[in-house]
Amino acid sequence: MKTTSPGGKTVFASVNNISRPVRLCENTRLFAAESLGHKYGLETKKTRGVPLDDIEGFEFLTPCRKYDLAVRRIAETAPIRICDGELVSGSATLGAAISHLVPALYKGEPLCRSISHLTPDFVTVVRDGIDSIRARAESALKKHRGTEKEEFAESCLYCLDSFDIWHKRYLDVLREKGYTQNYENLCVVPHKPAKTFYQAVQSVWFTFAFMRLCGNWPGIGRLDELLGPYLENDMKNGVLTLDDAREILAHFFIKGCEWICGGNYGSGDAQHYQNLVIAGVDENGCDVTNDVTYLILDIIEELGISDFPTTVRLSSKSPEKLLRRTAEVMRFGGGTLAVYNEEKVIESMTKYGYPPDEARRFANDGCWEVQVPGKTYFRYIPYDFLQLLQKKTLKSYDGSVDFPDFEALYKAYISDVADLLEDHLAMLLDENMERETEGGWVWKEDIKCTVISLFEEGCIEKGLSYREGGPIYNIVSPHIGGLADTVNSLYAIKKLVFDEKKVGFGELMQILKNNWEGSEALRLYALNRYVYYGNDSDEVDVICVRLLSDFADLCKKIDGRSGYSFPGGVSTFGRQLEWSPHRLACPYGRKSGEVLAANASPTPGSDKEGATAMIRSYCKNPLEKLSIGAALDLKLLPSYIKGDEGIDALVALLRGFVALGGFFMQPDVIDAEILKKAQENPEEYQNLSVRVSGWNARFVTLNKEWQDMVIEQNER
Amino acid sequence: MNDNITTLRVAEIQRFCMHDGPGVRTTVFFKGCPLRCEWCHNPEMQKSERELLFFGNKCISCRLCASCVAHKFDGGKHTVDREKCVVCGKCADLCPTTALQICGNDMSVNEIVREVKKDVAFYGENGGVTLSGGEPLAQSGVVDLLKALKSDGINTAIETCGYFDVSAVLPYTDLFLWDIKDTDPARHKQYTGASNERVLENLFAADEMGAKTRLRCIIINGVNADTDHYMRIREIKEKLKNCAGADVLPYHAYGGSKAVALGLPDNGDASLIPTDDEINEAKRIICG
Repeated sequence: MKTTSPGGKTVFASVNNISRPVRLCENTRLFAAESLGHKYGLETKKTRGVPLDDIEGFEFLTPCRKYDLAVRRIAETAPIRICDGELVSGSATLGAAISHLVPALYKGEPLCRSISHLTPDFVTVVRDGIDSIRARAESALKKHRGTEKEEFAESCLYCLDSFDIWHKRYLDVLREKGYTQNYENLCVVPHKPAKTFYQAVQSVWFTFAFMRLCGNWPGIGRLDELLGPYLENDMKNGVLTLDDAREILAHFFIKGCEWICGGNYGSGDAQHYQNLVIAGVDENGCDVTNDVTYLILDIIEELGISDFPTTVRLSSKSPEKLLRRTAEVMRFGGGTLAVYNEEKVIESMTKYGYPPDEARRFANDGCWEVQVPGKTYFRYIPYDFLQLLQKKTLKSYDGSVDFPDFEALYKAYISDVADLLEDHLAMLLDENMERETEGGWVWKEDIKCTVISLFEEGCIEKGLSYREGGPIYNIVSPHIGGLADTVNSLYAIKKLVFDEKKVGFGELMQILKNNWEGSEALRLYALNRYVYYGNDSDEVDVICVRLLSDFADLCKKIDGRSGYSFPGGVSTFGRQLEWSPHRLACPYGRKSGEVLAANASPTPGSDKEGATAMIRSYCKNPLEKLSIGAALDLKLLPSYIKGDEGIDALVALLRGFVALGGFFMQPDVIDAEILKKAQENPEEYQNLSVRVSGWNARFVTLNKEWQDMVIEQNER
Repeated sequence: MNDNITTLRVAEIQRFCMHDGPGVRTTVFFKGCPLRCEWCHNPEMQKSERELLFFGNKCISCRLCASCVAHKFDGGKHTVDREKCVVCGKCADLCPTTALQICGNDMSVNEIVREVKKDVAFYGENGGVTLSGGEPLAQSGVVDLLKALKSDGINTAIETCGYFDVSAVLPYTDLFLWDIKDTDPARHKQYTGASNERVLENLFAADEMGAKTRLRCIIINGVNADTDHYMRIREIKEKLKNCAGADVLPYHAYGGSKAVALGLPDNGDASLIPTDDEINEAKRIICG
């Protein structure tokens, strides 16, 4: 999102020309404009990593020792950055980290990949201090001395020492430069428990910055739950105002933009999984929503920072104020805010086997897949279920298979899904595990990640790293991609071949093999005359429900046969864009190469009934069986969210999503630019309906002249 | 729900409507209207009979409809002979592109209620259903529909041209969105085919009976975009006891494509679109 600063007045643009509120002081706003304007990202890129070449005999060291020395070198020599007037200190200043690598270079190459897709344990850091982690590491070393786990136990203490070295360097510079408040805070945190809100913010940030300095991309999790009690206490004691707290927290957000380097990114692409999850219940079921929740929303609303993808935990008990503030921030577009229906998430996690208090603590991995923060190893493996249908079940339409009825086709497909999951398991066993012993699974040596392991419960005590079975929960989630495209393909075959008998099965395979060449009328019939997933039509939605239910059951079947659990999810993220050129024609009228569905959302252009119908279709799915999650993307026109009634509309959609039992939803607002794209590529925007009072029409069905008028209308 | 076999002729049901009354609403558009406004933006909903729409820009000349005498392909160009069309709908069933569509679907009250209830989770405190069209009150069966909706606790609004007495529906209607197309009797007659006296009589009668109303004021450049008209609307608004406000709606020309699809002249006319200044002036006087 563009930021301008004409005549010293900083303006943060929005997609829909509603001006953003101003609550922060001009200095903070300028700092944000600079950070969003790539200043620190470009600076970070200048130093790719610290060199390791001068370390004698480096290549003969064990991987663990190599990692330890790399972290030490980073701590000792990475550039220190203090931004003018910053209220919070600590910076991840090495460029290779922006590329998800450990930024220590041996012969010019970064040491190894780094860690992402987790929310580490910041609660222990803030409440107990890192000294408490050191104490645990020391007693673990005593326990593991003389065993094969000794090296990792030593690595934990070595990395803590490295952290201290880096911390000391900041203390020295801050004192020297006269940043007294920052210096005093860092004299307490993160080693000792935070006493104030300000210290708590600094504690999270400094620890987070060190993880990132070493190349990792952690999430942050439930920041409002963590910081809220400190703010409440400070305000009770009269040492901090809400406005001051907002400024401090804003600096946390602005510092989090220090990896933005510009280039060809949309507003959401400059992110490094630094996710926040706000509101919702705590482990005891009490609502955590507090002043910090609203400060976070204030800051996102004012600065338009999309680098902390933030998800609001909603429930049927959410306060009206939370819903309205969420809607108000959402209408600025950019997809900065998403929502969980925490009741469904907790239900699904509990059903999967998490203790209820653990389930209630959920945060996410940096996208939206839910996990218990600070206790979970998480990884997902994406599978394209459309490819599976096309290549395996339908043999790339080569005519070698035939099915007497829909049931036979579906069963053949599910059998292929079962095989795929067996392969999934076999691959992981082969890659990551030796064998099962009485003491559990023995893990193969993997890339080193001690820095992250320090902040994941289980690692220090077990003497196993984050990637080697250390955490309490070890998850490798198989993800369905191409869900809607698969469901629609199956449904179109059912209708065309078996129900309406418009075409024989073999004949249809031949037509698809020829990419619908010469069968345009039939293609358009399939495309236009059937109602597909996302329109609240039970006839097709039941296929989706059945497929997801069978998939979840098959995932459950491979649990317990390795050190991992396999809860299923639905995702594509942006992968559908990469897949689309390689997928064959689809029975629902898609030609080879055309756009595919994202996540658990409908196939683009097939959703003709609007947002409420889309949410209803999505919510019919057995989401309680998908304990990792399934995401729905919801595109809204700015005209729908204009003014107070627009806020009402968004609130209604959020309430409906919760009442119907959704899991995760990402609403976004589209502007006139999108309409222009729709004008150029009408096929991809079939669903875009435009409205003025009681009149309605689908945008792409208008001729150029009318389309121009509607565009103009939306630009006003 | 009791079996309710009253049928109504529906043009379209649209979900997630934000501009047809408060909150999120499902709008049921009815077929048939007593007025013939020149600027009508839903011309396919004027006649009460079922009608065939033909969107020529969507036709791929596949000739699947050619077995019917109403469809002609002269040199590849598809035309519809409306004299010969009996609106059986077979061509629309076969048409792969929806270039051919039938407007007008007879639905029972139960069917309509079932559709409307799909979005109950989104209605919240304010939202619900809006009956629109066409003119919903032109079909006497709407009383049964409104009764059924109210018995399910659904908020109801009616968008009306004001041509009908509303006493029968009043007990089951939470809000009337009442069109004030023109306040000049002669112009009203000229452009809509009917006098506005009846519209205003009905409005004040409804008001006397306690009907909650919102005035819907279309502003058309060169027709009613004048200060006198705005002042008269203001007077009407102030005389009403139960009026919840007025909405100023600028004319738009989007209805034209649908008129053409009905075989009628394109009634869309960009020169009728009021300027921003005119709209602001109307808002200032009417809503002010």
